[in-house]
Amino acid sequence: MKKLSPIAYVPRRETVQSASLAPVALYLGSYLLVSFFSSDPLVLIAATAGAALAGYGCGAGKAVRFSLRLGAFLAVSMVIINALVTGRGATVLARLGDWPLLGQVDVTAEAIAAGGVIALRVLGTMVVIGVWSACVDPDRILQAVHGVARRSALTATLISRLVPLAATDYARIGEAAELRGPAASPVGRGAMAHRLLAGSLDRAVDVAATLELRGYGISGGSVRFRPVSSRFDRRFWITGSILTLIALFELLAGSGRFETYPEISYSMGVEAPLAAVAFLSGGFVTWRRGGRGNQR
Amino acid sequence: MNPTTAQPATDRRSSLALEFEGLGYRYSGADTMALEDVYLAIEPGEFIVLAGGSGSGKTSLLRAGCGLIPHFHGGEISGSARIGGRSTLESGPGELADLVGYVAQDPETQIVSTTVAAELDLPLRFRGDHPAERARAVEEVALALGIPHLLPRTVVTLSGGELQRVALAVALVTRPPLILLDEPTSQLDPVSGDELIWLLRRLNEEWGVAVVLAEHRLERCLAAADRVIAMDGGRIGFDGAPREFLAWAVARKPELATPSALMFAGAGIEPLPVGVRDARQILRNRHPQAETPHAESSGSDHPPNRWANAPGTGVRGPGSGEGTVLEAKRLWVELDPGDGPVDVLRGIDLEVLPGEKVALMGRNGAGKSTLLRAAAGLVEPVSGKVGTPGGIALLTQNPGDFLVRERIGDEISGPAGEAALRAVGLDISPDRDPRDLSGGERQRLALAIALAGRMEGEALPGLVCLDEPTRGMDRGLKGHLTELAERLAGQGAAVVISTHDVEFAVSFADRVILLGDGEVIADAGMPTVLSGGWYFASEPARVLDRSGLVSISQGVEFLEAGE
Repeated sequence: MKKLSPIAYVPRRETVQSASLAPVALYLGSYLLVSFFSSDPLVLIAATAGAALAGYGCGAGKAVRFSLRLGAFLAVSMVIINALVTGRGATVLARLGDWPLLGQVDVTAEAIAAGGVIALRVLGTMVVIGVWSACVDPDRILQAVHGVARRSALTATLISRLVPLAATDYARIGEAAELRGPAASPVGRGAMAHRLLAGSLDRAVDVAATLELRGYGISGGSVRFRPVSSRFDRRFWITGSILTLIALFELLAGSGRFETYPEISYSMGVEAPLAAVAFLSGGFVTWRRGGRGNQR
Repeated sequence: MNPTTAQPATDRRSSLALEFEGLGYRYSGADTMALEDVYLAIEPGEFIVLAGGSGSGKTSLLRAGCGLIPHFHGGEISGSARIGGRSTLESGPGELADLVGYVAQDPETQIVSTTVAAELDLPLRFRGDHPAERARAVEEVALALGIPHLLPRTVVTLSGGELQRVALAVALVTRPPLILLDEPTSQLDPVSGDELIWLLRRLNEEWGVAVVLAEHRLERCLAAADRVIAMDGGRIGFDGAPREFLAWAVARKPELATPSALMFAGAGIEPLPVGVRDARQILRNRHPQAETPHAESSGSDHPPNRWANAPGTGVRGPGSGEGTVLEAKRLWVELDPGDGPVDVLRGIDLEVLPGEKVALMGRNGAGKSTLLRAAAGLVEPVSGKVGTPGGIALLTQNPGDFLVRERIGDEISGPAGEAALRAVGLDISPDRDPRDLSGGERQRLALAIALAGRMEGEALPGLVCLDEPTRGMDRGLKGHLTELAERLAGQGAAVVISTHDVEFAVSFADRVILLGDGEVIADAGMPTVLSGGWYFASEPARVLDRSGLVSISQGVEFLEAGE
């Protein structure tokens, strides 16, 4: 029995899954934009929470939890690394002495705060990508790209198919490595990666042959994949536009609001709470009236 | 052989579904020809079975028949190939997509979309069909193949059998007049395999689709065929009617003959039967007084059934638990395929003793692989327990997964490695590349890797398991596998092999465990389980319908005694 990845796309009759690609891209793109460029912790937390709410609203709770787990691991790593390698900041919390390669290591509150901002960005980005992956049909993306860039669409098709195949192959090879007798040469990650790469090339040839047999080579640019419209498009267009404008405003006006060096300073006006409320409440747009959909 | 007509050559060519004239082909970098001097004409609406051992050229012939050779695989080609009158040298596979559908061996690499509906729709979109035509075609092909419930499913959630049906549906959705299939039943259980063959026959009869079906297990599909083509060393060794093929195979290539044909030939009965129904009819004609010629009945003039109480036919009772090499008690295993946990094993109670040769059978998804994986510690039970007191070596479905280096000596070495190689009967240079080995040698090497260090001196671990090792194997390779199983059991290990191949199970097993929906539904001597059924029964058993009679040699003995 195959195990499905938590962030694998599953068709559902929920809002994001039913809506057209462009408004959903605008809507989720606004969360990605603010997660990438904002340095305001309040806005970043609100955007991450909003993206998570959006995921829960369209039945992608499992993808949200998976992204949060993975993102939390990366986020904590970021904070620790930043605290150790950045000696800047006036508030020294601990002096850890001389370390090989790093030299004198001083842990400062400012470095931890700066790492925290990076961590929040990573966390938000991971959640948005998780929701996108679980809710947006890759076929729609490929169809959208096919008309304008056939070769790119072919590459994207191959990759989108090869990724799950490679994941399956990797799991199988890993299992076989576990089953090797104790006296057989152990299989390291390098050998497994080499074997996987060699196998993936064969897989790529097979998938490309399949596309050729389907008539991909003769379709040219004449094939038009007509976009499918949905009654949910309007809400994503409106919300996505508003949130994108707010994200752009954050990008232009928000810088300098929260500073970490040489000392932590936060000059919060009304913009940050307003942006935070907007991104948090924007997460409810994916929820259906009268309760959200079938959460897993 | 092939009918010839008085039509002008050019008209006839364009009316042929597929035609090869003096086709020769060598893969790029290969030393030998994959196809040589192939002359072949396939009429519209024919149902052809393509026979031949591993490496005989079946797959290459099919690839040449859809244009993948030479356009995709490169290499050197000579002669000509035409599909519906169009040359494959001038038209690529995409241009020929309207004329031919192709289903390759591995269904996983033949699916490129996210959902089944999108996958079926894709070739029609590429062809530029109107949305209404596309919707109708998708609906029709889904109904014809019994998969409308799969349309909204994502392809990653499909089982192997479901994937195979979807791959077939995609090949048919453009309604090509010719479809080529490369061992489509190799991953299917006997029930699903039979269903697929008869589905093809129905499509052939109702839609007039010409079918070329490459298969190793000919006993499954010969009865559906109009014609058989046997490949031998890249050439056509035989081309004719199924019954003529059996006579040729019995005389020249016994490894290609069906069990019932070998049984009849051994007993000197003619004509040779094309399938179970034909065999029973032939026997009925020879013994018209018997209502069912060889069914068990006290009134029959046939010899008493001495196989019914033969050793190994008894139903197993609970064991003593002493000396067992596999012990499962109320074993429950739960897996989550993505849409919630599912009980894959449901309260399994099982014991296997040293030296036993056990065939683990059951339909796709019955829990065979999960049981072996649980025994090897790859999955944790949610309840109950499973133990292998004498140790276990498990060879998973793809032996290639064990071979990650380019030199055998780098995979396995030292005294423990040499002992493991001896145990599997492999005597090869450590400098050879595993990829250069034959399929059977690769399997043995992979098993030796699994065994290395698990042996005490020359003593094997208590339990050696192989998960569906016969996929894509011809009968010769299966014979080698049977020898290997006997060799391992002879050294004291219990050998458990999960398989869909009933004839293979007859050749190696002395006990059969039949799983159904995660439960043991039958556990008894091999002859008891594999006789008297419709699907999980050998061909001799289905023909003669005698309790405990399962093998060709038993069938010959029985038929000779009855004559």
